[in-house]
Amino acid sequence: LLFLQRVLLLVASDVDALCACKILQALFQCDHVQYTLVPVSGWQELETAFLEHKDQFKYFVLINCGANVDLLEILQPEEDAVFFICDSHRPINVVNVYNDTQIKLLVKQDDDLDVPAYDDIFRDEEDEEENSENESDGSEPSEKRRRFEEDVIERTMKRRERREWEARRQEILFDYEQYEYHGTSSAMVMFDLAWIMSKDLNDMLWWAIVGLTDQWVQDKITQMKYVTDIGTLQRHVSRHNHRNEDEEHSLSIDCMRIAFEYDLRLALYQHWSLYESLCNTSYTSASLKLWSVQGQKRLQEFLADMGLPLKQVKQKFNSMDISLKENLREMIEESANKFGMKDLRVQTFSIHFGFKNKFSASDIVYATASLMENIEKEGPETTNFIKALDSLSRGNLDKLHQGLDLAKKQLRAIQQTVASCICTNLVISQGPFLYCSLMEGTPDVKLFSKPVSLCLLSKYLLKSFVCSTKNKRCKLLPLVMAAPMDVEQGTVIMVGIPPETESSDKKNFFGRAFEKAAESTNSRTLHNHFDMSIIELKTEDRSKFLDALISLLS
Amino acid sequence: MKKFKNKGKDSTARRRQRVEVSMELRKAKKDEQILKRRSISFSLVDESLSPEDKKEIIQLSLEEIVEAVNGSDRELQLQAVQDIRRMLSKQNDPPINQVIELGIIPRLVEFLGHDDDPFLQFEAAWALTNIASGTSDHTRAVVEAGAIPPFISLLSSPHMHISEQSVWALGNIAGDGPTYRDALINCSVIPPLLALVSPVTPVNNLLCLNSSSSLGVGFLRNITWTISNLCRNKNPYPPLDAVKKMLPVLLYLLENDDKDIISDSCWAFSYLTDSTNDRIQIVVDTGILPRLVELMGSPEMMIMTPALRAVGNIVTGTDEQTQAAIDAGVLAALPRLLRHPKQAIQKEAAWTLSNIAAGPSQQIQQLITCGLLPPLVELLDKGDFKAQKEAVWVVANLTTGGTVEQVVELVQSGVLKPLLNLLLVKDSKTLLIILDTITNLFKAAKKLGVTDRLCLLVEELGGLEKMEALLTHENNIVYEAALIIMEKYFCFE
Repeated sequence: LLFLQRVLLLVASDVDALCACKILQALFQCDHVQYTLVPVSGWQELETAFLEHKDQFKYFVLINCGANVDLLEILQPEEDAVFFICDSHRPINVVNVYNDTQIKLLVKQDDDLDVPAYDDIFRDEEDEEENSENESDGSEPSEKRRRFEEDVIERTMKRRERREWEARRQEILFDYEQYEYHGTSSAMVMFDLAWIMSKDLNDMLWWAIVGLTDQWVQDKITQMKYVTDIGTLQRHVSRHNHRNEDEEHSLSIDCMRIAFEYDLRLALYQHWSLYESLCNTSYTSASLKLWSVQGQKRLQEFLADMGLPLKQVKQKFNSMDISLKENLREMIEESANKFGMKDLRVQTFSIHFGFKNKFSASDIVYATASLMENIEKEGPETTNFIKALDSLSRGNLDKLHQGLDLAKKQLRAIQQTVASCICTNLVISQGPFLYCSLMEGTPDVKLFSKPVSLCLLSKYLLKSFVCSTKNKRCKLLPLVMAAPMDVEQGTVIMVGIPPETESSDKKNFFGRAFEKAAESTNSRTLHNHFDMSIIELKTEDRSKFLDALISLLS
Repeated sequence: MKKFKNKGKDSTARRRQRVEVSMELRKAKKDEQILKRRSISFSLVDESLSPEDKKEIIQLSLEEIVEAVNGSDRELQLQAVQDIRRMLSKQNDPPINQVIELGIIPRLVEFLGHDDDPFLQFEAAWALTNIASGTSDHTRAVVEAGAIPPFISLLSSPHMHISEQSVWALGNIAGDGPTYRDALINCSVIPPLLALVSPVTPVNNLLCLNSSSSLGVGFLRNITWTISNLCRNKNPYPPLDAVKKMLPVLLYLLENDDKDIISDSCWAFSYLTDSTNDRIQIVVDTGILPRLVELMGSPEMMIMTPALRAVGNIVTGTDEQTQAAIDAGVLAALPRLLRHPKQAIQKEAAWTLSNIAAGPSQQIQQLITCGLLPPLVELLDKGDFKAQKEAVWVVANLTTGGTVEQVVELVQSGVLKPLLNLLLVKDSKTLLIILDTITNLFKAAKKLGVTDRLCLLVEELGGLEKMEALLTHENNIVYEAALIIMEKYFCFE
C-alpha cells in the first residue's frame, strides 16, 4: 500500500469504519502519503463524492462501503482508477471478487467468503461473442475472422447447455446473495495490515478493539466470531502491554494501557450510576422486564439480593464506596445468575489513560456512535463525522465525555420507546415477520430517523418483545421496524433484522426481500444505505410495500 | 483467484476433440488409404485413453512438426499441418507468433499448390487463414510468403470446401487495409470470386451437405463478407472499375433471404457511399435506393443499422442524390428510427434528417409534409445528448434554408421549448448553433412583424433567463452571441 499520488479516502458512517480510518490515517502519516478524507453516509453520497473527485485522484480507498455491489458498474470510473476496499459487508459482490485490476479487496485471509467458483458465474468473453453472433447488435462486421473448430450441432448443444448454465448461475447467485451479514471488522483488518508491515502501535490496537466491539454492540456478528476475534486481539494486547505491567507505578499522565477484562455487560455503568445502567441496558432490562410493574419489583429484589443500598446504587458509579466496588462484579454476577441472567459477564478490553481515566471498549462505541448521529445540528453535515472521529483520539477527552452524555440520552430514549411499544402492543405479527412502526410525534422519534440508532432500537425492542411474549412462534420471527424519516418529503426509514435466537447466525435476508417487494409494487424506495436491509420509502407506498413483503416471505 | 479460471475446462476440451474425431472420420471415408490409417489410431484413442494420453499420441512436438513439414513424408506432412491448424483454431490464445517463428509459412503456402493432395491443401489453407486473421504483422507474414496468387487460384478449386477456405483467407487479407485490398484487386481476385456467386452456390457450405459439419457460416456468407472487405477502407478508395464490377453482385446479394448476407451487403454499400459525390452517384445509379430504404425498416438491428448508414451517407451528397433518397421513401422510414430504443440509431437517424433539412426548401417541405417534425421535437426534448445535438442541427438547418412559412410551422410544432432547454448544456459548439437558430427565428419573426410575440414566447419558456446566464459563459464567442440577441431583441443594456 504505497502511494505516490494523493489518495481519496471514502469512509462510511459507522464506528468500525471510523476506527479503520484512524488506523489507516496513522499509517498514511507514517509513510507520508497524502490523502483527502470524505465521509459518505450512503450510496448517493458515495457516488457524488466520487464524481466530484474522480478527476484529481487515481487511487480510492473505501472503508465499510463498496464491497457488496458491482462498484465499477455504479461508479463507471476511468480504466486506470484503482479501488481498495476494506468493507465488512457480506456477501461481496462477485464482480468485485474476480476483478483483479481495478478492485483490490482487503479481506482477512481466514474469512470464509464462500464465493461461487469463477466458471460457475462467468464465461469467457470469446464464448459470449460467439454466442451473441446470432443476435448481432448491428455493429460493424470484423475486418478479420479466425475459423474455430465449431460445429452446427455443437453450437445448438452449446446454446442449450448455456441456458442450463444460466439457470444454475442464477441459483448459485441467489444462494450467495440471499443473506446479508458481516465479516471481520474493518478496523481489525486494517490493524492486521499495520501489523504485517510492523507498524502497529498501541493506539491502533485500541481502535481495532473498538471496531470489533462496535460489531458486537450492533449485534452484527455471532457470539462465536466475537469470542474468536477477542482472542486474536488479546494476543496483540499482551504483546503490546506486558512490559508496562511491572512499571505500573511509573505511568505518566499521557500513558495508555490496554487490559483484557471480564467485565459486566452493563452499558456505560462506570460513567453512570449502576441503577441507571441496569435500567437502560437491553440485556438486563429485557431479562427483568422492566417495562412492567412486576419488572420494577424484580429489579428491587435483584438489588436487595446483592445487598447494595439503593442510595449507593443510584449514586454516580465513581462516587460509590470503594469497599462496595471491590467485589462488585462477583456480587452482581452471583445475583444475576439467580435471576436468570447468566450472560452478564463479557470478555472485553478497557483502556487507561494515565491514572484517572478508564474506559471500556463499549463505552467508546456508544459515545462515538452517538456523536455521529447527533441530531442537534452543529454546522455542516460532516461535523458529526469529524467530531466522532476526533473522539477516538486519546487527546480529546472532552469530546468523548460529550459523546458519553449523548449516549446516555440515546439509551434512555431507546429504553423508553421499547417500554412504550411493548406496553401499547405496537409490535404486531404480520405472519412471516413482526412489524412495529413509530408514529410521528412519539417522543425522541427524530433520533430514530438515523440508521444506527434505529437498528439499535430494533434489536433492543425485539429482545424485549421475545422476553415479553408468550407466543412461541412469535419468539422466532424477524422484525421490521419503520420510523418517520423526513416529514416534509413524506418518507419513512425502514429496517429489517433477523430473529433474536441464541444460535442466531446474524444473517439477514431483508435486503433482497426489500428489493423484490419494491420492484413488484413499484414502490418509491431508496436503497441508499450500505446495509441493504435499511431502506427509505414513501409513506403512502408503505402499505402496498408491506403487503408485497408479507406475500413474498409467506 | 487465478485457480478458479481453469477449473471445469476439461469437459469442453474433451468434447471438442471427440466431435473432431468423428468429423475427421467422415472426411476420411473419401480416401480408403487414409481411412485405414486414421480410424485405427483414433478408435484406439477414443475408447481406451484419457484426453491427456491422447494428446501425447496425436500431438507432435514443435520440433517434430517443423521436421515433418520440411520433410518429404506426405503422411507426416499432413499430420503436422493438421496439428498446426488445430493449435491455431483453439478458442483462446492461438500461438500465431510461435507458428510464424517456426519459419514454416512459406512451406504452408507451397502446400496450397498441391492439387494432388486436397487434404493437405485444405489444412494449409485453414492454417494460413487463421494466421492472417491476426494483427497486421501476422497478415503480412502470410502475404509476403506469396500466398495471394495460390489462394486466388484455389478460388476455382473443384473442391468447394477448399474454395470456401480460400475466400475466407482472402477476406482476412483484404480486411487488413487498403494496401493489401488493392494488391488483391491487382492480382485479379474479383473475377473468380464473383464467379462463385451464382444461384447454384449453396448458402450452406459443402461440408454441411454431408450431414453436419464443422462450419456455422455459409459459403455465400463468406463470399459476401470478403466482397464487403474489398469495398472497405478509404485513403485511397478502392479502384473505380473494381467497384463497378462488384456492384451488380452486391445488388444481387441484397435480395438474398439470409440476414447475415443482407447485413454484410448493406455494410458494403455503406462503405461505398462513405465517399465522394461521384462515387455516391455510381451507387445511386444502380437503383439500389428503394431496397436500402426498405431494409431501413428491418426489425433486425444487423440489417437496419448498415442500411440506415448507407442511406445517411447518400443524403450527404448533392441535392439530386438526396432527392433520389426522398423519392425512395426515406422520410417515411425515419420517424420510427428517430424513436428507436437504441440511442445510436436515434443519433444516426437524426444525422440523416439533418442532411435532408440542409437541402432546398422543397425538400424541407417534403420533410414537414411527411410528419418528421413531431418525432424531431420529441428527440430534442427527451433524446440522449448525442441525438439531441444532431436534432439541434436539423432545426438549425431548417431555420437557415426554410421559408418563413416553414419556420412558422416549425415553431408551431413546439420546437422552441426543448430547444431553449438545451441552452443549459455545457458544449459550446451546440450552444452556438442554438443561438444561431434563435437568431434565425427572430429574423423570420421580423419579416412577419411578430418580433414582440416571439420575445414574449422565449421569455415565457425561460429562454431569456438561460441566455442571461450565458452572459457569464467562459467561452467568449458564446457570450457574445448571447449578448447580441439580448441587445437586439430584449433591450438588454
